[in-house]
Amino acid sequence: MFAALFSVFVTAADWVSPSIDYHALAPEIILAGGVVVVLLLDLFTSENNKWMLGPVTSFTLLGSFIPILTLALSDSGTRSLFDGRYVVDNFSLTMKGLFVLAGYLVVLLSSDYLREGDFYEGEYWILMLSSLLGMVMMASSRDLVSIFVSLEFLSIPAYMMAAWRKRDLRSNEAGVKYFLLGVFASALMLYGMSLLYGISNSTLLTDIGKYVSGEMSAVRAVAILFVVVGFAFKISAVPFHTWAPDTYEGAPTPVTAFLSVASKAAGFVALLTVVYVGFPNASEVWQPVFWIFAALTMTVGNVMALRQTNIVRMLAYSSISQGGFILMPLAIAGEGDSAGAALRAVVTYLLVYAATNLGVFAVVIAVSHKTRSGAISSYGGLFSYAPGLAIVMTIFMASLAGIPPLGGWIGKFGSFQALVSAGTTWGYALAVIGAVNTVIAFGYYGNVMREMWMRPVPDGDTTHVVVPSAITVALGLTTFATLLMGILPGLVLHFGDLANLAGAFGG
Amino acid sequence: MMYNFAIDPLLTGKVLWTPLLIVLLKVVVVFAVGLVATMLMVWFERKVIAGMQNRIGPNKAGPFGILQTLADGIKLFFKEDLIPERSDRFVFKLAPYLAFVPAFLTFAIIPLGGDFRGDNDGLVTWFGQQTRVQLADPPIGILFALAISSIAIYGIMLAGWSSGSKYPLLGSVRASAQMVSYEAALGLSVAAVVLVSGTLSTSGIVARQSSLGNWNVIVTGIVPFFIFMIAATAELNRPPFDLVEAEQELVGGFNTEYASLRFALFYLAEFMNTVTMSALIVTLFFGGPQPISVGSLTVDIPIIGNAFEGTIWLLLKVLVFLYIYVWFRATLPRFRYDQLMDLGWKVLIPASLGWFILLAAQRVGQDAGWDRYVVTIATVLILLVCYSLLALAQRTSENERKRDGVMF
Amino acid sequence: MGLFVFVCAAAMVLVGAVGVVTRNNPVHAALSLVLTLFGIAVLFVANNAHFLAAVQVIVYAGAIVVLFLFVIMLLGVDQAEDLSLEPLTVQRPLALVVSIGVTGVIIAAVLKSQDALFARGTGIDSATLQDADANIRQLSRSIFTDYVFAFEVTSVLLLIAVVGTVVMSRRQHGQHVEESV
Repeated sequence: MFAALFSVFVTAADWVSPSIDYHALAPEIILAGGVVVVLLLDLFTSENNKWMLGPVTSFTLLGSFIPILTLALSDSGTRSLFDGRYVVDNFSLTMKGLFVLAGYLVVLLSSDYLREGDFYEGEYWILMLSSLLGMVMMASSRDLVSIFVSLEFLSIPAYMMAAWRKRDLRSNEAGVKYFLLGVFASALMLYGMSLLYGISNSTLLTDIGKYVSGEMSAVRAVAILFVVVGFAFKISAVPFHTWAPDTYEGAPTPVTAFLSVASKAAGFVALLTVVYVGFPNASEVWQPVFWIFAALTMTVGNVMALRQTNIVRMLAYSSISQGGFILMPLAIAGEGDSAGAALRAVVTYLLVYAATNLGVFAVVIAVSHKTRSGAISSYGGLFSYAPGLAIVMTIFMASLAGIPPLGGWIGKFGSFQALVSAGTTWGYALAVIGAVNTVIAFGYYGNVMREMWMRPVPDGDTTHVVVPSAITVALGLTTFATLLMGILPGLVLHFGDLANLAGAFGG
Repeated sequence: MMYNFAIDPLLTGKVLWTPLLIVLLKVVVVFAVGLVATMLMVWFERKVIAGMQNRIGPNKAGPFGILQTLADGIKLFFKEDLIPERSDRFVFKLAPYLAFVPAFLTFAIIPLGGDFRGDNDGLVTWFGQQTRVQLADPPIGILFALAISSIAIYGIMLAGWSSGSKYPLLGSVRASAQMVSYEAALGLSVAAVVLVSGTLSTSGIVARQSSLGNWNVIVTGIVPFFIFMIAATAELNRPPFDLVEAEQELVGGFNTEYASLRFALFYLAEFMNTVTMSALIVTLFFGGPQPISVGSLTVDIPIIGNAFEGTIWLLLKVLVFLYIYVWFRATLPRFRYDQLMDLGWKVLIPASLGWFILLAAQRVGQDAGWDRYVVTIATVLILLVCYSLLALAQRTSENERKRDGVMF
Repeated sequence: MGLFVFVCAAAMVLVGAVGVVTRNNPVHAALSLVLTLFGIAVLFVANNAHFLAAVQVIVYAGAIVVLFLFVIMLLGVDQAEDLSLEPLTVQRPLALVVSIGVTGVIIAAVLKSQDALFARGTGIDSATLQDADANIRQLSRSIFTDYVFAFEVTSVLLLIAVVGTVVMSRRQHGQHVEESV
């Protein structure tokens, strides 16, 4: 047939296709496949069958968790793809697991929320899956190009999810603010990256690490600063946090949960990779920056949270201040051998924070289902008519505040331990600031508990809260995780045992 | 720092006076040829259409009315130059040049002649210097043409907007939507040519089409050529895609408010673009200045040197396409706007993409040593599945639109 | 020659960039953006990156800014907006101070450590440069080997962007204003 026509191709003699380790890429491939499947299903199913998109999404997420497990259990050690540009090691597998499971929980939180609000279902799942794909990629990226692509990949769907309720002005505001500041941060970061590339002539973080060392020329410092500031937007570190409260409040609550947990964790992952693999020898530049960020973020977040009357806004500021706590160990990560301890502390804190914060949002969604209000005062007397929810919420609040023996305590303990073990004046000073802030945080977490246990029901309406089954499952899982990590800290410390972040500190 | 002027073998090494003068001469000649070609094209179009419609056409100025365009130009030159009061003056003045300059720039990369036989590779020797009968041969050749054609939108778009009146604005919005839509199909069919040629440079593409069987129109399997032809017509805003200046709806379209020399520039640019696009089609698919040859038999024009023989061949081939364009104008009725968009997005882009994938699969199969027929059949099957999904998606969305009562 | 090209192109870039910010008319601002993008394309050509230059013109000048203009014209926002209202009066002076400060820091940093930037600027080696296609080959090779994953995933990203845009702009029946929680 016409195949005979295609006879004259020019041959490229020395072309060798790259060999690809498909096992290492399996989680990403499954997620990308899920995006396509949900897209097609959404197109070809009738309005009555759209409910099945949520379950398909969660199966995709669980499906992509399988290769993460098999990779973690296989003893082939670190897998390095594309010349070290994409690395699957314990650190990245831990974070991928965190992202996928957090995504699964958000799916559970979203399903009923979406059905009631008559929002566009199919696209919501597609955007969430793709945002998670970006995060999963971020955990493995070890060069500037893939880091940038994954950052955009996780952000762009998130911008649109934040503006999901199109007719709601506050949701629009949330989306637009998030988008503008996110794009601005990307631009800053790209500028820093271009300087880094100019210095090192390579996009590979390990190569950059070789050139960003020795005496710090001004341009190196500027490059590092720009990249770090770019990520600071993502993790809403003060003074780059201004988008967070408005976005969190305006976005649909499950999306807020997603942003405050998964998106923030992804920002931290990127920050850790860049700092540990790219700038391990430039600690005199980033240590002071992180010190200031951590101190400011904790304090400002806490003080603002004290004044809030809306629960979601309070949680927004609380998550900002929690970000400060997570940042703390990075301020001493360059001192002596404290790098490993700092990494462990950050990862542990992220795991605990993810479980607890998702739990809090599950309760908020469940309660607002009945009260239709976001005011903290609407939690008055919750214990009298929904004791289960009140107890679970108390556990989460206590965990966020850092009360032993709950998960949050392990996270805080790890951070302080890392700070103190560095043995520098700055470390001690930051530990003191952190301790003061921990006490302040009791103020607003305690306020919610007081409302639930001691105040009367505001409108006397003591009918039961109907908790949808999906949210019950989410609550069970998060409570279990929060308690388990508190009671068996060894478990989470095992996960956080990551002295071998591939390529980090020359290792 | 050493700069590499790979665009012309003249400019490698030290730049001397002779090569510089040759380049200057080439610039002048290409510009003059472009202008004269445009002039003749206007006359040709009017004459041919007149013939098709049983009229006589221009017959007063010069022999066969061949100087008609010149006369028109002189008349336009002396007309009153007016600028609408509500226009954006700066942009209004800028727009004609933005339309005119790109039209000429594309001409720079078209091989206008040269000896491509044997190992000559299109090089000729003038005044002891090796050069090409082509103003510039940048390594990105054909991408340059695409870049320029994407720039050409600005002239039309800004002309319509800056006029400060409704019809031109509508015309320019139509034009830009149309040009952006068809650029994708255009680019994808060019990609098919690049895939088989293995080079982006226009002289390289021509050099590969040494005999009739090697012409890209056959090698790429005709489909990219048809798609390119249709998309190019849309890119040029020529009938049947001339919604930009649909007289019944939009008065004169984007250039309604223009008069005098500025109008002349738009007019020139339009016909210039037609000539360039025909030359581009010939370059990409029909061997450019290569003579027609089957096997070892070459149709040779005696006496004339090989380099200029190429120019004559190019001229003849371009003439065929110019005639086809005029033919289109005389015969085909204008598309409706939604038909235009449907054709662009739902037919041309998927078709060119599918064909490109088919070619690429052949290529991969050839490299990997797979059986050609198996590869072809497998690719066609996959493409059929994709096409049925696409068709199903279109039907579903149509049904949904009907159900929601949205009709567009 | 090299310096002359650089100065001209850099002037184009800067004039365009300033124009984008200062012009009141959105169409003029978009045109200034085109000027900047062209300047960058010229800089690419001056550095032998012909392919990037072409892509810069095709994608940015030819598609993105055209879409900007398209939207500006269709929405009819081609009038200057009144920006004299300002809820937080400290913002503007503060923004000015910060931007001047950042600019100063960058200029000082680049001036102080030119050697660090020049030392690595090897780029394409001159041997491969003699081959006219060297740049394109090198680029395609690195895209399809080292960066193939990021490259392929970008296609999914574009798909997602399209899906999201359709969702955001689509009209849906039976929608009403929702109170947020």
